[in-house]
Amino acid sequence: MYEPVLLKNVNMPDGHLLSTYEAGGGYRGLAKALKEFTPDEIVELVKRSNLRGRGGAGFPTGMKWSFVPKRADRPKYLCCNADEGEPGTFKDRIVMERDPHQLIEGMAISAYAIGAEVAYVYIRGEYVLAIRRLEQAIAEAKAKGYLGTGILGSDFNFVVHVHCGAGAYICGEETAMLDSLEGKRAQPRLKPPFPAVAGLYASPTVINNVETLVCVPHIVARGADWFRGIGPEKSPGPKLYCVSGQVRKPGLYELPMGIPLRELVEDHAGGPQPDRKIKAVIPGGVSAPVIPEQGLDVGMDFDSLAAVGSMLGSAGVIVVDDTTCMVKIATRIIEFFHHESCGKCTPCREGLNWVVKVLRRIEAGAGAPGDMEQLDMLCKGIFGNTFCALGDGAAMGLRASLAHFREEFVAHIEERRCPFH
Amino acid sequence: MVTMREKIEQAAARYPDQRSAIMPALLIAQRVHGHLPGPVLEEVAEILGVERIWVYELATFYTLFHTEPVGRFHLQLCDNVSCMLRRSEDLLMHLESALGIKKGGTTEDGLFTLSTVECLGACEMAPVMQVGDDYYGNLDIGRIDALLARLHALAPHGTGADPFAAERPGEERHV
Amino acid sequence: MVGVTINGQSVEVEAGSTVLQVAQRLGIEIPTFCYLKRLPPLASCRMCLVEIEGLRRLQPSCATAVTDGMVVRTDTPLIDETRSSMLDMLLANHPLDCPICDKGGECELQDMVMAYGPGKSHFRDPKRVFHSRDIRLSPVVIMNVNRCIQCQRCVRMCEEVVGAVALGTVEKGMDTAVTGFEGSLASCDQCGNCIEVCPVGALMSFPYRYKARPWDLAETDTVCPHCGTGCQLTVGARKGEFMRVRSKEEHGVNRETLCARGRFGLDFIEGNDRIKRPMIRRDGTLVPVSWDEAGDHLRGRLAAVESKAAGGVVSPRLPNEVVYQFQKLMRTAFRTNNIDCSSRWSTPFDMLAPLMANYTRAPLKEVLGVGCVLVIGGNVTEENPVTEYLLRDAARRRGTGLLMLSTRPSRLDADAKAVVRVPPGGEPASLAAVVAGLVAAAGEKLSDNALAEIAVAIGGAAARNGSGGPDRLAAMLIEGDTVTVLVGVDLLRSSEARMALQQLDTLLQLLRLLGKSPALQVLFDRANQMGAWDMGALAGALPGPQPVADDAVRSALARNWGAEIPHEPGADLEAMLDLCVAGKMGALYLVGIDPVTSYPDREFVTGALGATDLLIVQDSFLTETAAFAEVVLPAAGYGEEAGSFTNNEGRIQQVRKFREPVFEARSNLAIFDFVAAQRGRTLQPSTQVEIFDEIARLLPAYQALTWPGLGVDGAFTRASSTPPLGPFFAQPAFFQARDGLMLVTGNCLFHNGYLSERSEILNTIANGPYVAMNAEDAAQLGLKDGDQVVVQSTRGELQAQLKVERPFPKGLVFVPENYRSLRLNSLMRRGEYPCPVEVHQAETAYEIASANRVWRGP
Ligand SMILES: Cc1cc2nc3c(=O)[nH]c(=O)nc-3n(C[C@H](O)[C@H](O)[C@H](O)COP(=O)(O)O)c2cc1C
Ligand code: SF4
Ligand code: FES
Repeated sequence: MYEPVLLKNVNMPDGHLLSTYEAGGGYRGLAKALKEFTPDEIVELVKRSNLRGRGGAGFPTGMKWSFVPKRADRPKYLCCNADEGEPGTFKDRIVMERDPHQLIEGMAISAYAIGAEVAYVYIRGEYVLAIRRLEQAIAEAKAKGYLGTGILGSDFNFVVHVHCGAGAYICGEETAMLDSLEGKRAQPRLKPPFPAVAGLYASPTVINNVETLVCVPHIVARGADWFRGIGPEKSPGPKLYCVSGQVRKPGLYELPMGIPLRELVEDHAGGPQPDRKIKAVIPGGVSAPVIPEQGLDVGMDFDSLAAVGSMLGSAGVIVVDDTTCMVKIATRIIEFFHHESCGKCTPCREGLNWVVKVLRRIEAGAGAPGDMEQLDMLCKGIFGNTFCALGDGAAMGLRASLAHFREEFVAHIEERRCPFH
Repeated sequence: MVTMREKIEQAAARYPDQRSAIMPALLIAQRVHGHLPGPVLEEVAEILGVERIWVYELATFYTLFHTEPVGRFHLQLCDNVSCMLRRSEDLLMHLESALGIKKGGTTEDGLFTLSTVECLGACEMAPVMQVGDDYYGNLDIGRIDALLARLHALAPHGTGADPFAAERPGEERHV
Repeated sequence: MVGVTINGQSVEVEAGSTVLQVAQRLGIEIPTFCYLKRLPPLASCRMCLVEIEGLRRLQPSCATAVTDGMVVRTDTPLIDETRSSMLDMLLANHPLDCPICDKGGECELQDMVMAYGPGKSHFRDPKRVFHSRDIRLSPVVIMNVNRCIQCQRCVRMCEEVVGAVALGTVEKGMDTAVTGFEGSLASCDQCGNCIEVCPVGALMSFPYRYKARPWDLAETDTVCPHCGTGCQLTVGARKGEFMRVRSKEEHGVNRETLCARGRFGLDFIEGNDRIKRPMIRRDGTLVPVSWDEAGDHLRGRLAAVESKAAGGVVSPRLPNEVVYQFQKLMRTAFRTNNIDCSSRWSTPFDMLAPLMANYTRAPLKEVLGVGCVLVIGGNVTEENPVTEYLLRDAARRRGTGLLMLSTRPSRLDADAKAVVRVPPGGEPASLAAVVAGLVAAAGEKLSDNALAEIAVAIGGAAARNGSGGPDRLAAMLIEGDTVTVLVGVDLLRSSEARMALQQLDTLLQLLRLLGKSPALQVLFDRANQMGAWDMGALAGALPGPQPVADDAVRSALARNWGAEIPHEPGADLEAMLDLCVAGKMGALYLVGIDPVTSYPDREFVTGALGATDLLIVQDSFLTETAAFAEVVLPAAGYGEEAGSFTNNEGRIQQVRKFREPVFEARSNLAIFDFVAAQRGRTLQPSTQVEIFDEIARLLPAYQALTWPGLGVDGAFTRASSTPPLGPFFAQPAFFQARDGLMLVTGNCLFHNGYLSERSEILNTIANGPYVAMNAEDAAQLGLKDGDQVVVQSTRGELQAQLKVERPFPKGLVFVPENYRSLRLNSLMRRGEYPCPVEVHQAETAYEIASANRVWRGP
């Protein structure tokens, strides 16, 4: 039986209070970090743990931190990506609502490692409860000396500010988040320069997902080897999986990286509703290409999913059963990307608009011969040519739906109706 | 009473650049005014000493900002994939007929605005709806009716931003 | 240097170049939309994607820096397909209304589709329609949102180059739209640069819309007649009728930018008070006559007043050839050095000479180094807008430190490293304080001798008034690797002009002693002020300008002109007016100027003109001064006579003719021949190009220039070698800012002098005359923004609308000098500038102006 680490406090009553957190050993990682490690040693430790970013791209966290220049001619910033807009994803919300101190501790250690004294938590504005809890926790932590100047008797100073988003998925893209934080329309920036070199206010900036940061205190407390010992060597650690859709027990599950998708969906989440069969699973939020039922034996980690043409993404596992029309799902997903496209680049802005029009037509039974080719052509024109990964994600997902469930699309066009109605 | 200007100035102190404070300022202004008409945007620009057009840009880019009035209670039903898989469409139809408005509309008494929104990040309790500050999950038609009844009862007191503030001395309350 | 290969061609290029730049250098065409040379890359249109060996994805060439050994391909089937696909997507929602679109025929999207587009669109769903009607964003900007392709050139231009931050982008994704605050551009600069950079017909010029098709226009490249920045522009006319102005991407000091005056203010040539025929005064009224009759009259009258003094003033808006010929006419046919080239002030030549000797004749872009730029006086944002764009660019993109020292605040202050706000009239004292600060900060960098000399001259460090601002400027000037000084004409306007120029001279000398080689340019507000000085339209100077008293210079010119030149310096504007008042002026010849509206003492100047025996006014417009004239000669207007202007950079550019003089007007040169003939003389040579050649032969700074050699970007006149050190000047007497309100004037954004008031388009943009003052002063007087107020001096008063300006210093009242109807100069007294005034609420507070003060759309 796997013993939860990240979700240890989540089901405790008053898990969000400092007293609960401290009682469970909270902030000892921070104390240890400040006392026993230099900042560089923390970076080394995290590198050795093989921790990879939990926000979607799976970039090695220690390596990202090591890109921050050592020079101190500009302030450095830590940004926590708590925008969590990827449909099917809710892990960060639950952590912030029920165990906000875990995040604060993770941020304090990470900031110490990269030499930042100020952090912003970019949290989506809808998460009102999480915002309140986090603000309350920050106040508590400040009062107890876990934040502020000279933290725990060291010469490390650190403050955390909460910055509320206002409803735009693109803010989750790290450079768009920086523009948003600077008070601009959230649109992705050109890279290079990379944020680690010139990010927020052109200062060196590290952006990490909530879950990534939350792993850090445990790595400090239990060591890199412990972390690397969980799951696959190259993509290790405890992992939060968000399971939703047509399963019996939707919810947040903490399990090792690399657990087979089938085991997650069928054993932990209870499998499909009675008398239904799983048709497909989207394993990592709607940006991740769909996997048909026969592919469910894949391991839930960055490399294994990439190998089968999908991705772990945000680990938002959406289960679709055999009563559901895949054209409808594909249409809804593209509608989402179309709605959330920031509008900066041509292929995403114009291409997705075109795709939406065609898909809606097909779904409504007004498809025309040549539509499939048009969709293929559009996927080709969009994929790889957009400014940021949003457009790519949209095209990739659509391609997978077209590939795995082509007959459903064709049936819609030929029968001029949805066969599921 | 802390004035809007003071609240905005406090929020602005968190950033080295006033422009960063536009978003927090708009959130504050919207809590005060309910929505963000031109004069409010101008006031925000004036308080922060930033360009008006920057404020206008943000007020229209982000979906949580409303430049047009919305009803006292803004019912925001998620219709993204996870909720759709759990029949949020049925709930939308029910809401439309119960309130006598179409999605995007506001009831004549100005009490309810009904919208569908992208994923609220609470798919474990799909289908979900946000009203004011709160999420209501695992919804079905019965629960929706109960909620509407409570909101109606609250109408003379509640505010759009946080209808149940009065019932929530601590802040503890979650579906 | 790094080695790159594009389509098989290898080159060595500077590290940091982009793939696009390298390709352009190799003549390899890569299509772009969002790319604009003067802005940082956006890389959003994705037209410029290229293949780079070793990279999985296509890369935007506009934003990809080359690396050593990089191998790029822009000519593969994949690239063709990608370009076509981008265009296909752009066209999907683009309304194909090219036949009625203003841009049809010069549209980048059209051209691109021709070159790279899909043969036929695959799209067959309904197009998006935002708004079925075009949106009038301002009096001059109208937008068709449906056509916009989101390249964001306009928005970036507005914010990053113009600094107006008026345009923005609202909504997101497919709903994204470019617009102004709440859908209006009412309070923008109306420069129209957004229209210029729009690749499609989304942003359009309202005055030009639907007026002509591009292929029906005869286009003429020429130079803007408004300020001394000297922007290149292209006039489009149809059958001699003015239609529009455009700017060219690559040419002139301005490249593709212009200001509202240049882009929209050229229709003044169609002004309805053009003088149609010669006129002479008979029985007290001006009556139209033929040129012959005018000649007869003139001949007789000139002979009658021959025993008295003669004098002439020529406009600094006229081409070099005209100004040159005018001073030659005065010196040879009228045998007088009584010449000037401004109706607003005279500049002491002894002070002008060192300034001219220090002048840096070089492109402004180069003159603005990476060190610091000290901008003295004026409001560069409003007076020389395009110069201001370049200053902003230097500050933002090259990190040049801007140091502002002026009475009027300007938008550029926001980009400056230091701002010193000077009380009205305090420029000499502030400059002196900077000098003192420099001396104090320089310390051992100055040799003991020099230090002692300066200390004696300026009266020692004790003279410092201890204010922090000038000291900060001094410190930054010392630190700057390069130092550039830009001087606004405010300094010349002041009654302390001599003192101000002395302090400026001392400052420059001191900087040179400190091992800096300060660059200097003046920010003239008249298109050819620099040229007018060069041409020697000055009482104390011959062309060059070289001192009249210099025998060698004088005799060389006399030899060339075949006539004696009086050896005494003549009377300048001020002295000529004194002669008039004293009843000693026989013939006063005014060419293209209107002192009755612009001389800073209306009562005095009208008296002087009235006391002149024979007043000859040569102009295109019937000015208030013409009403005092005995003989009025109709001259060609702008665009009706060729010539050259020398701009603030010392760049000489061709001003081309795009139509014949209207009615019976003649070119200024022809009129000079006509007048000379009445004196029984001929002027040789007399055609424009021949005169140009003579200028190039006789003026050191113009040596070796040829008319055809003034290419598309003009040519640079030559700076004199570094001047020798001169004396240091004493500090001005302690300056005490006066209590009470002080009136200063200058140009406003939408007008330049009085010419632009004849532009109908500019008049619809500008909100009309106004009085600006700071909020505190206004509040104290119980006034608020938009009130009708009276400004009153001991001399007279005017009434206009109050504009409360937050950054204005206390005590300052500004009234733009550009509105004839205000009769601003009737408040002023000769020799007293700034002018003490009082301001109060107008009694008949009728609401005329305030109702339409802010333009809110149709
Ligand atoms: C369109 C888009 C949306 C994204 N949304 C999120 C998000 O909501 N939360 C998040 O943590 N990362 C999101 N990401 C990933 C971030 O860009 C970034 O990779 C991540 O925050 C880095 O943190 P990590 O290294 O800890 O994963 C998004 C990326 C893209 C392209
Ligand atoms: S792919 Fe382009 S338009 Fe889409 S979100 Fe990214 S930058 Fe914006
Ligand atoms: S020019 Fe490079 S992306 Fe537009």
